[in-house]
Amino acid sequence: MGLPLFSAHSDPGPSFWHFAESQGLTPTASALDDAPHATTVIAVRYSEGVVMVGDRQATGNYIASRDVRKIEPADRYTALAISGSAARGIELLKIAQLSFEHYEKMTDSALSLEGKANYLSPIVQRNNLSSPLMVLPLLAGWDASHRVGRIFEYDGAGGCYERFDFSTIGSGSPFADGALRLGFRSNLDLEAALELGALALYEAGDNDPSTGGPDFVRNIFPMMITLNEAGFQELPASEVGERFRVINERRTQSGGVAGGALR
Amino acid sequence: MSNYFYVSPEQLIKDRAEFAQKGIARGRSIVAAIYDKGVVLVAENPSASLNKVSEIYDRIAFAGVGKYNEFDRLREAGIRWADTTGFTYSREDVDARALANYYAQHLGDMFTEGQKPLEVEILVAQLGNALRPTKLYRVAYEGTISDEPHFAVLGGDAETIRDRFALTEETVHSLETTLQNASRALTGPERTLSASELEVGILEDRGNRRTFVRLSDEQISELLS
Repeated sequence: MGLPLFSAHSDPGPSFWHFAESQGLTPTASALDDAPHATTVIAVRYSEGVVMVGDRQATGNYIASRDVRKIEPADRYTALAISGSAARGIELLKIAQLSFEHYEKMTDSALSLEGKANYLSPIVQRNNLSSPLMVLPLLAGWDASHRVGRIFEYDGAGGCYERFDFSTIGSGSPFADGALRLGFRSNLDLEAALELGALALYEAGDNDPSTGGPDFVRNIFPMMITLNEAGFQELPASEVGERFRVINERRTQSGGVAGGALR
Repeated sequence: MSNYFYVSPEQLIKDRAEFAQKGIARGRSIVAAIYDKGVVLVAENPSASLNKVSEIYDRIAFAGVGKYNEFDRLREAGIRWADTTGFTYSREDVDARALANYYAQHLGDMFTEGQKPLEVEILVAQLGNALRPTKLYRVAYEGTISDEPHFAVLGGDAETIRDRFALTEETVHSLETTLQNASRALTGPERTLSASELEVGILEDRGNRRTFVRLSDEQISELLS
């Protein structure tokens, strides 16, 4: 490719996606099926930010991979999680990461969190209305200008909705949602939010065949991340493993059910 | 019917070069230098928002002197080129030499074929790693590209500043010393620059993918004192 110079009236501005579209870099729809999919990712708001928990399994007709990362930093203060088609999800992630950085370099200022959330709407819409390979992202981040953690979810047509409590995506959602609806309180502290998020993911992994719960055999555990004033931080695998070991132990003692309390 | 007067190619090139040089000489200069841990770009720039130094990619920075609208458009094209190349291939395939060549071709084309030559001089800096060396590529208004071994000076007063800076830069120094020397070379002995009149960007490995940082006024004054 040569030097992409434009005159003022045809300049695509600081949006990488619009530029990529004009250059034919974004792929068009195809009719493939059987792409790996199915997921559970959870985002819970707590008093100082957002906690996210995501399973690690990619499922097609069988388990395609056990150590997929479905939550990635979109930039320092924003996390993007994906569900649906793995190929399209990873592409969306790549476009989002690049677009936010591109905007920052072009204009010397970062997009607002709401700006990032809205930016993804037409990309999700374009993909889902033109392709059977659905992708549904979940965006959460620390809003530095309002000093609060925020969660944005999307519907299949690209609609973007802010959630003030929690949100889940993927096939394990009903089970995770159930646990979250019972356990959520406003102003959860970090520890309580991590505990609730882990419990909700354990529930999803226990009930949804396409969600990978903690894998004690291979030592692969769900991803747990926090978003707050310090930015995107991932909990070390050892800490996550210990959390799930405790839950697993409790469930073993009460015969596979919670045993009368949310725990 | 209009009459065309014969102008020799020599005269044409000379006129165009003079025009471009005059335009560039109106602006302030930039010093770029390699220091012990990276590359520093120092511009005399009283504006805090109209930048002359900026980030192109993970390990590539850009600096421009002359007409702001002209070099800013080149900067934007460079960011688009780098992000597209990295998106299409891989982040490690983005090479400053390729970008500097594109800039050189464009400036060369504008110099010979454009309505008027671009009144800019630009610099593409690359922080080295295992794959590529640390480099400073200077591209002049007529498309001449030069690979500067240790430091480069851009702008109208480049000759004088280069001579002043060369006296202090026989070896590679720390960021602090390099910045102090650059600031002194930009002004000469008659005047001094405060932190707010300097724009400083560095490329340095700090464990992150992106190596470019713009230094704040506080950081600059601390380094200068």
